[in-house]
Amino acid sequence: MARAFPKKPPATLNATPVQYTEKTATVQAYIPEIIKGLGVSMRHFFANTRDMVRGTRPDPVTERYADGVSTISYPEQKRPYPQRFRGLHRLTTREDGSPRCVACLCCSTACPAQCIFIEAGEYPEGDKRHGYERYPVKFVIDELRCIFCGYCVEACPCDAIRMDTGLHPVPYDSRDQFIYKKDILLGLTARDGSHETANPRHEPGDPTHPGIDRERGAH
Amino acid sequence: MPTFKLDGKEIPFEPGESIIKAAWRQGIEVPHYCWHPGLSAPANCRMCLVEIKPGPNQRAMMLDVVEWDPKLGDYRPRQKPKLLPACQMPAVDGQEVLSDTSPHVLEARSHVQEFLLLNHPVDCPICDQAGECKLQDYWLEHQGTQKRMRDEPIHKPKAVSFGATIVYDAERCVMCTRCIRFMDEVAGDPVLDMRERGNLNEIFVAPGRQLEGRYTFMVEHVCPVGALTTKDFRFKARVWFLRSAKSVCQGCATGCNAFLDYDPRFGKVYRYRPRDNEAVNKFWMCDDGMLSYRAAHIGRVTEARADGKKKGVQSALEAAAATLKDVPGKSVAIVMSAAHSQEDNWAMRELARMLGTTAIYVTGAGAGYEDDILIDKDKNSNTAGVIELVPDVKSFTQLVSDIRSGGVTHVIALGGVTPRTDPEDATALGMLGALVTIAAHTGQLSEAATVLLPATSWAEASGTFVNKTGLRQLAEKAIEPQGASLPAWELASLLATALGLEPSFKRLKDVRSRLVGAAVPSTRDVNESAST
Repeated sequence: MARAFPKKPPATLNATPVQYTEKTATVQAYIPEIIKGLGVSMRHFFANTRDMVRGTRPDPVTERYADGVSTISYPEQKRPYPQRFRGLHRLTTREDGSPRCVACLCCSTACPAQCIFIEAGEYPEGDKRHGYERYPVKFVIDELRCIFCGYCVEACPCDAIRMDTGLHPVPYDSRDQFIYKKDILLGLTARDGSHETANPRHEPGDPTHPGIDRERGAH
Repeated sequence: MPTFKLDGKEIPFEPGESIIKAAWRQGIEVPHYCWHPGLSAPANCRMCLVEIKPGPNQRAMMLDVVEWDPKLGDYRPRQKPKLLPACQMPAVDGQEVLSDTSPHVLEARSHVQEFLLLNHPVDCPICDQAGECKLQDYWLEHQGTQKRMRDEPIHKPKAVSFGATIVYDAERCVMCTRCIRFMDEVAGDPVLDMRERGNLNEIFVAPGRQLEGRYTFMVEHVCPVGALTTKDFRFKARVWFLRSAKSVCQGCATGCNAFLDYDPRFGKVYRYRPRDNEAVNKFWMCDDGMLSYRAAHIGRVTEARADGKKKGVQSALEAAAATLKDVPGKSVAIVMSAAHSQEDNWAMRELARMLGTTAIYVTGAGAGYEDDILIDKDKNSNTAGVIELVPDVKSFTQLVSDIRSGGVTHVIALGGVTPRTDPEDATALGMLGALVTIAAHTGQLSEAATVLLPATSWAEASGTFVNKTGLRQLAEKAIEPQGASLPAWELASLLATALGLEPSFKRLKDVRSRLVGAAVPSTRDVNESAST
């Protein structure tokens, strides 16, 4: 039967064919190859044992691709996290220990996982911030929902929420333990143990406040 | 009608109207802070500056200015046209006005904006206006640059209480004087004024006075920035989480148009905002009306009750049918409610027609304060609607005396509120053989009810309300029904079914389609007046 179409020329290969080793008699015999393989394993075994005994194992972080065993015995040993690791959230405090948070809800607006719930309230009568600022009556983060994107930290205009605790979320045995309330979040610290941040916060009435107001102004 | 050209577009205007108002009527916004369509034009914010082209045989007024030339490293002289405030310049026939298309205007807006933000504290995180603030919007739209001033901004009084309802923050204020003009021109109580000058300019309350009266909330609403905030809404919510339903105020028979702002996540209503309607409330609302949003959550009937016990709606309906089983339909009295929507009242009238009774009464809240600005004496939102449906409807006083004389023994009532709280009335209602009440809010009728059915309030179902001038207005649904509540017309339909009748309305569409044709001279349609 006549072909309706001319035959398609074979496509040019864009790959290198794999070269297989020749199957010699020793390879076909199987036993010598097994012994060779075991030899490789035993060489590593003794080298690693020697390193362990001498205590010269490669560093799991800086030399993780070097020869030798770079696994660690978690949780007795912990891999150090990099400086900018985004861990569990903490709420930072002011000098007087009150939260820096002003309950503006910028973090919960920015949160793509919608894991932050804040209830705003007013400082009680007599507080110097009464009538001027708000504070979070409730500040709850659902750490199960959190995707650790760090948007809340970026959105915060007051440097009140940070993810610099260096802690990863702990496994719990019930879901409600992942709901972090305000006191837990305020209790967490930065890696240096500080509850505050390095960024200063000027408040009206502070001696550090450079501004002038009606009482102290020269005009 | 004469016209002028704004950025090449023909704008018609009434003679004597300002450029900004004529453009506003056409839906074109010339950026502004101090101008408000309902107030006079002081032209003090300078945001609405426009370039007006000279007429034929006229020379443009040019100003000699110097401009920084970065290449030259020095200032060089330049001329620019004199810009004029659109809020104060009356439009002239054939005039050519440049707004968004003039580079001079764009530059002026950017600089005015920078000037207004010079001493602004930028405390948007703790400001309740954030999200609906003109300073934020116009910064994005017309400025977009940082301020060049490196000095510490001037600090002014913050969180000053102006009265029982309003808090003032002088640092955020742009001195547009809208609040001053509102109190002077609309509320008729010139209690606010301005003191000091320049940087230290601030709004204050007349010495020895407080910001009080029945229109204080409007001061916050006309404020284009976060300087004035209400104590009621302060720190309660962030506005970008709120959704707005086009609602109608239930406070009195005026039927002011309003936005009912609610948070759909929690099903919670937070506030009213006036909605412009030239035919009803113009731009304003009264304090009592603004606070009446609370009725969406306070005093609501959310559970069915029968014989003093909580019941499901279905078993309560069965209990109602049982109490009315041996009563001939003709001797059941129907009570309509001036506080419920036209749909609900129509369903009650239909129920009366099916039962064959002619004893139809009306209840609602009692009369109260009135003034000649907005507030009406009648504190019900739909009195005119009930009278439209049943012109010879009898009063609540009549109902009480009819019960006393034994003429009425069984009642199906809509609405819990009664015009007065007389213990004698409660005694009379206690004499009834059966009182089936369909109510959204608690009141004498819901307390005395043998069977109580929970109805949705105006915030939970859309409904038509007829105001005192006969204008039919639609209030949109905001939040989901609370508790077990159902729309009252639906409960009326279910009640009719439980009584063994065959109601002709099962869906809102059935009610609506017959409501306009059946009850009303159809000259006025629902929401006839367009929102301005």
